Amino acid sequence: MYRETIIDFEQGCKCLEAGVSELKRILEEETSETRIDPKQYLELYTTIYNMCIQKHPHDHSQRLYNKYHDIVEHYAKKTVLPCVQQKHDEYLLRELSRRWDHYKVFVNWLSHFFNYLERFFIPQRNYPSLLEVAMKSFRDRVYLEVQVNAKDVVIALIDKEREGAQIDRELVKNVLNVFVQSGMGTIEKYKEDFEMFLLEDTESYYARKASRWIQECSCPEYMIKSEESLRKEKERVIHYLHSSTECKLVEIVEKELLVSVAKHLLEKEHSGCSALLRDDKVDDLSRMYRLYHPIPKGLEPVADAFRIHVAREGNALIKQAQDAAANGSLVEAQVLVGKIIDLHEKYMVYVLDCFKNHTFFHKALKEAFKVFCNKKVGGSSSAELLANFCDSLLKKSGKSDEAIEATVDNVVKLLDYISDNDLFAEFYRKKLARRLLFDHHKVNKEHETIMITKIKRQQGGQYTSKMEGMVTDMQLAKEFQKGFKGSLTAKPGGIDLAVTVLNTGFWPSYKTSTDLNLPREMVECVEAFKSYYGTKTNQRKLRWLYSHGTCHVIGSFDPKPIELVLSTYQAVVLCLFNNTERLTYQEIIEQLNLSHEDLVRVLLSLSCAKYRILNKEPASKSISTTDVFEFNSKFTSTMRRIKVSIPPPPIDERKKVVEDVDQDRRYAIDACIVRIMKSRKVLPHQQLVSQCVEQLSRMFKPDIKMIKKRIEDLITRDYLERDAKNHHIFNYVA
Amino acid sequence: MRRLEELFNRYKDPYSDMILAEGVSVLCSDLQVEPQDIVTLVLSWHMNAATACEFSKEEFFGGLQALGIDSIGKLQEKLAFMRSELKDEQKFYEIYNFAFGWAKEKGQKSFALDTAIGMWQLLFAEREWPLVNHWCDFLQDRHNKTISKDTWAQLLEFARTVNPLLSNYDAEGAWPYLIDEFVEYLYDKSVVDK
Repeated sequence: MYRETIIDFEQGCKCLEAGVSELKRILEEETSETRIDPKQYLELYTTIYNMCIQKHPHDHSQRLYNKYHDIVEHYAKKTVLPCVQQKHDEYLLRELSRRWDHYKVFVNWLSHFFNYLERFFIPQRNYPSLLEVAMKSFRDRVYLEVQVNAKDVVIALIDKEREGAQIDRELVKNVLNVFVQSGMGTIEKYKEDFEMFLLEDTESYYARKASRWIQECSCPEYMIKSEESLRKEKERVIHYLHSSTECKLVEIVEKELLVSVAKHLLEKEHSGCSALLRDDKVDDLSRMYRLYHPIPKGLEPVADAFRIHVAREGNALIKQAQDAAANGSLVEAQVLVGKIIDLHEKYMVYVLDCFKNHTFFHKALKEAFKVFCNKKVGGSSSAELLANFCDSLLKKSGKSDEAIEATVDNVVKLLDYISDNDLFAEFYRKKLARRLLFDHHKVNKEHETIMITKIKRQQGGQYTSKMEGMVTDMQLAKEFQKGFKGSLTAKPGGIDLAVTVLNTGFWPSYKTSTDLNLPREMVECVEAFKSYYGTKTNQRKLRWLYSHGTCHVIGSFDPKPIELVLSTYQAVVLCLFNNTERLTYQEIIEQLNLSHEDLVRVLLSLSCAKYRILNKEPASKSISTTDVFEFNSKFTSTMRRIKVSIPPPPIDERKKVVEDVDQDRRYAIDACIVRIMKSRKVLPHQQLVSQCVEQLSRMFKPDIKMIKKRIEDLITRDYLERDAKNHHIFNYVA
Repeated sequence: MRRLEELFNRYKDPYSDMILAEGVSVLCSDLQVEPQDIVTLVLSWHMNAATACEFSKEEFFGGLQALGIDSIGKLQEKLAFMRSELKDEQKFYEIYNFAFGWAKEKGQKSFALDTAIGMWQLLFAEREWPLVNHWCDFLQDRHNKTISKDTWAQLLEFARTVNPLLSNYDAEGAWPYLIDEFVEYLYDKSVVDK
């Protein structure tokens, strides 16, 4: 509407003030009719509008802006503040919330009336907006006066809620909104005037709870309470706290409830980590993982407790076996290794399940096993026991491929824990040789291959090369034998001969007895094979191991002929009796050229053991060099074929294996030292030793003393020298 | 030069161009010293002699010329000086290490234990080392094998740098195995407290 008359400032203000009073009245009444009379609205709007567009000197924009400021100030200071200050506790909050809502409405209406200012004048002068002015006034007049009390009340309410009471969440939310808004675009007021205090209070609250609960509750109970507390705090944030508070709040709760009491909690006597593992409390353990996982460094103590527990269990197993061995009973490799495998499977389930496949727990399991898997039981190292276990496993018939694979997987895992890998390889090789040579009926080639392949995958090809060679040899020998048989027109010496050729490099070393005087028939056999072999191969030397052969001999006894399954040595002795009935010990030993120890064993097996093939004079239980032997023509048995077993020579196999491995280790250390020095040229002692240990760790744990000795030996052999100036440093001698 | 020739001929073996054990005894009695006197070692060192109780013509001539000697009298006068050389740190070090090659059997790579112990007693009489007797006891007690060149050389290092209470002994150091064992022995026998 176009007006002719100029509005005077004072006049305009009167109109304005009337309008403001009307607003205040409406707000105070709080009826649902919070609407201004449209006529009044328009009048106010137009008045202000006109006052702004009037020409100079009647352009009152600046004065109006100031007036606006006065209005809101006055409202905040004279209306809002007194009302709030009168109240206490929850009533304080309610009043504050109410007045805050009113203020917002008030300011909103005003912004309509002063709209022209907002759109034109304020941007022109770059002044703070009307809303900013209003908020600032509220902050300065109201907020600053009441915030401390308000904060205290809110925190008291929160504590009440923590104790289980129901509180008015909407109210708190609204009040906290005041704090947030008072930050004028930043979150600072909320943080400084409220959050800080809340966190302090939370800390002491949960510290108290922690010290009470840890005394009163078992570990599972405590954890459940902790989990519950965390859940509630998070919920609290969603309902009325500012979202930025969540991570700080959670951190404090975790710190007070979980971190500070971790040791006490995990080590609780009857309900701590150890007890939970013992009693298979899967849920509680999963909870423990859930609670400690998000905390930095939180899982370490749990993994540690796990490791200690597993090591304890393993050690107990070992101790049991050691005690049994000390009492004289035989060390049953199958039983012990089987138990260790079971233990491993049991705790692996926990690692995968409760502890969610976390690397810490894999590592803890591994370390625990390394501790007890390297202990000796009854004089046998773990390497030997494991090799014995494999031997028994592979000799058992009737196992499916899957069953074997599963067990072999476990074996290979245990092998990883044993530090003396090379020792295992040696024992395994010895046992493998015996299986292949003497038990070849029982040998299941697929199973043997499965085992070797899996070991190879973990330890590398070089580790298993000899074993593979041995298995291949047996295969080649079979085929070669076919060729040999095919080439014969007649049986040499009238005997069915089967020969297995072993590649020296792969097999354990055996003593040979090439001086043995074979009977004529056997000599023919040997010659026949030798010539055939010579045609098929180039310049290879054969060493005959008669000590390892088997012979089937028909004994023509008076009652009935019986087939005797013998060792070659036994057969050779008996064949002497084809020509005479009686022989003295001396005659036998001279004719055959066997060693005394070997002959004694053979004669014992033939004359003093289960089957009396020979009669002995005198009929004592041992062999003396003056004994006389006679063919026992009256010997008989119900069976048509009997195996006359001969006990193996009493060499201390274990000792030999250990010696061989020690020797190999010495070479390995030498080679390693030379290799390192060749590439580094100059190296201090400490570093040489540690690098050596590291490089060899795959195969075995080298003894530092042995390394030192090898270094000195290499110095004497002019591979290395000490540096002239610093005797702790070595130089490579090219 | 001619005087050296005469001197040499006095001691040399009738069948070879060397002064051998016989000649050495005569030399020693001329000098009025015992053959086991350590000064013979020093003399040999000056001559760079290859083996104990033997001097080749070159060694004899070379050594005496270096010392500026051409008569027995002058040699006798020089004896005191040669003894004093053992007190010099650097020279003692050289003489000690020289002794290994010199005193061992020709063709062997290491020292027989008895020879080594004898040499050590002799050498450490000149330079005090409080543990020398324990060392020799230890060797006879526990070692009973030959002594390598490295062990010989390192023993001097040990005597020089490690104090008799072993407080500055580094067990992780590059000491030869035998010396580590010796330290263990000292602890075992409570000669030194750990």
